[in-house]
Amino acid sequence: MSFDFSLIFDHLPLLLVGALVTIEITAVSVALGVLIGLFVGIAELSRYRWLRYPAKVYVDFIRGTPLLVQIFIIYFALPIILGMRIEPFVAAVAACSINSGAYVAEIFRAGIQSIDKGQMEAGRSLGMSWTQTMRYIVIPQAFRRIIPQLGNEFIAMLKDSSLVSVIGFEELTRKGQLVIASTYGSLEIWSAVAIIYLVMTLSITRFVAYLEKRFH
Amino acid sequence: MIIIKDLHKSFGDKEILRGIDLHVKKSEVVVVIGPSGSGKSTMLRCVNYLEVPSSGTITLDGKTITRDVDINTIRAEVGMVFQHFNLFPHMTVLQNITLAPLKVRGMSQHEANETAMELLRRVGLENKADARPAELSGGQQQRVAIARALAMRPKIMLFDEPTSALDPEMVNEVLEVMKALAESGMTMMVVTHEMGFARQVADRVLFVDEGRIVEQGSPDEVFSHAKEERTQSFLSKIL
Repeated sequence: MSFDFSLIFDHLPLLLVGALVTIEITAVSVALGVLIGLFVGIAELSRYRWLRYPAKVYVDFIRGTPLLVQIFIIYFALPIILGMRIEPFVAAVAACSINSGAYVAEIFRAGIQSIDKGQMEAGRSLGMSWTQTMRYIVIPQAFRRIIPQLGNEFIAMLKDSSLVSVIGFEELTRKGQLVIASTYGSLEIWSAVAIIYLVMTLSITRFVAYLEKRFH
Repeated sequence: MIIIKDLHKSFGDKEILRGIDLHVKKSEVVVVIGPSGSGKSTMLRCVNYLEVPSSGTITLDGKTITRDVDINTIRAEVGMVFQHFNLFPHMTVLQNITLAPLKVRGMSQHEANETAMELLRRVGLENKADARPAELSGGQQQRVAIARALAMRPKIMLFDEPTSALDPEMVNEVLEVMKALAESGMTMMVVTHEMGFARQVADRVLFVDEGRIVEQGSPDEVFSHAKEERTQSFLSKIL
């Protein structure tokens, strides 16, 4: 057995391009996921059933089915209904952000519930509406509290985004497959791919720890 | 100013309030005493609808609270001070006080800041405007909470055991602020265990037990000449 480092160095630029795409899709998906999650998380706590039930169904469905299947549904099944092709990037971002949204919703829900009830009462007793109190008092506090969990979600998404390689979207994992297809360097390239993922996730961990410190 | 008629409140099948009737006049200071679990806090929280009554009506300054009335506009006229202060920990003292005037009253930042500083002077904390609640002592936090409520220029102030969570040496600074407020003519309902305060400041003392007003009268009538046996037994335990 020999480990051919030159194989890695030769294809490193290509893999790094893939890594950038991975970061891009993860960042966009988590950003959209946070937006979806914020509204769904609040909807889950609503006193209105017509908001609460759909939110719950969405969260349960997404968390109860594999991301891979969700990607297949959006890329292969949805076009049959829509009668039009969906670009791999659009399908990948849609699947990842809808998936992330469900997990972030649970993070927000728990974060909001962890804020002392007296905060809502104080806001309401001053004449602020429920929405105002949520916006100015409860959510800012909840957001600070859930930064570590959002960091974890970012890391999970970064790793799970490798699944969109199955629809031919050329992020890091897919780039690795393509390089291997032409070089047969499974050992070298998969090792390199793994280490690039590791560097990315460790960097995020560091960054989140820094954010946490700054906010406390 | 406050008219409570046949107020009932149940949590599940537990009946906390069993028919409260009360009429608080303008500038009157009513102190509510009673054993824990008697319903005195629930009664106070019903006044600004933090608890929704099971039945009965509440009329504040001539406006009866119904489904058609915007509860937020009514709450804006009723200040509330909580046992645990409930300051907003992510904001400075000044931001705590100015938030509701800015968002509810639509006050300008300049006007809101001026009002807040004036109120901070009144409660003796003008040098703490930029501090965070966590940097203040309990007594200071509660004084900020009072200033925060007053910033809305309420017509009525409700105090829910405002000194119960304080260290003993901080109780007086809060009571002094409340006393000054009472002397300024504010209509106040105060749930408290501070009998000294009740004696000194109250126009009327209510003794509440098992969800009913058992006895009421001037501090002297209730503290020194209680007619009801339950009142006497309660007072004998705490005085």
